[in-house]
Amino acid sequence: MSDDPQLELARTLAAIDRDGALAETAAEAFPRTRGGFLRALAGAGAAAAGLAAPARALGAGGWSRGDVAILRFDLVLEYLQAALYTEAERIGALTPTTLGWSRVVGAHERAHAQAIKQLLGRDAVPSPAFDFHGVTEQEKPFIKTAVAFEELTAALLKWQALRLDSREIVAAVATLHSVETRHAAWIRRIIGLQPATNAFDRPASQSRMARLIASTHFVAERSRTSGRTRPKYTG
Amino acid sequence: MHDESDLQSATPERGDASAQPRGIFLKRALLGGASLAGLAAFADSDALGSAGPSAAQDRRIFAFALVLEDLKSAFYAQALEHGALRGELRRFANVASKHERAHAALLRRALGRSARPTPQFRFGRSVREHAAFVTTAARLEDLAVAAYNGQAGNLTKQGLSSALGIVSVEARHAAWIRALADQAPAPRAADPGEGTAEVAAALKRLHLR
Repeated sequence: MSDDPQLELARTLAAIDRDGALAETAAEAFPRTRGGFLRALAGAGAAAAGLAAPARALGAGGWSRGDVAILRFDLVLEYLQAALYTEAERIGALTPTTLGWSRVVGAHERAHAQAIKQLLGRDAVPSPAFDFHGVTEQEKPFIKTAVAFEELTAALLKWQALRLDSREIVAAVATLHSVETRHAAWIRRIIGLQPATNAFDRPASQSRMARLIASTHFVAERSRTSGRTRPKYTG
Repeated sequence: MHDESDLQSATPERGDASAQPRGIFLKRALLGGASLAGLAAFADSDALGSAGPSAAQDRRIFAFALVLEDLKSAFYAQALEHGALRGELRRFANVASKHERAHAALLRRALGRSARPTPQFRFGRSVREHAAFVTTAARLEDLAVAAYNGQAGNLTKQGLSSALGIVSVEARHAAWIRALADQAPAPRAADPGEGTAEVAAALKRLHLR
């Protein structure tokens, strides 16, 4: 068993990402100009860095500011996954098995986004626009993206759970967490990887997930001169 | 499991559980070799969650989880021993067996001297017959996920860290064995937690004997 979750993820990616594109870009530094997505995550990043910050300051839903920031990050992540799988389902170009997986998992991620939105109430953020660059219509890129996101989401939720203030939110997030690892195990089996390798799964940080998201360029760039148009809702 | 009378005394109905003083259940757990008695000790699950997280509460939850891990570990070991499993099913049982032993070992280390010894289990045809094995394994893995999820909000951050590392793998087992059983690997958008009393009752319904 590896002691290093990053190494473990790298191994997983190596097994499915033979041309190395995803692993390579995921290792790059977090780009500074990711437009709308970074703005959406700005609060989350700050909170991840300083969770001890004003612990008693509460957001609209009565949760601590740190909890709101974590939930916002998760909401954007769920929007992204929901949009990815929903688009794959709409286009219908994948193999029937993969499409079957995508259909079920897409419904779950849409439900997760809805649940987190409800937890956040007025603190919820709208979905950014996404551009999946053809990943949703090609079997191999789709699968390696899906595995990376499912594995890393499960690892991220472990990291976040230890930083959440509210026991209620911890309990709620736990019920989503195990579903993400079910998704990961399921898709791994579909592509012939062992669904469960180590006896213990390890956490991965929010900045690690932010790097993965940035590396995919899925969050659509928007012109800064086009004024304050509302983002297109795709989630 | 031992025999039916053991099962019944070990897992009281929920009403009984809340009506009787906690000490009775603890005593039962300490006395018997009856495996389910270990779970019955926690059957007044409300008592677990009512207080905020503490090291003492972590130990109670870990002791509860240890019974489950010991049970699953013995289940896979016996199924492998009887040799009715072939192909991917055998591979699954090998992997899961190794994982459950590691989980039990971690919980034992955390519990230190207060950890109970490994109980004896008897599983009857579920470790001898292919179909019965698959159904029982899927149910046990789902149940383990529900049991850990049910305690997530009751653990200290340290306890939670261990529990999440474990439940993540239980959910992988659950998805894997469900796929082998032609069941949906991820049947719901959320895996609801179950209290200790519900888990004990569900195990009783499995009739593992």
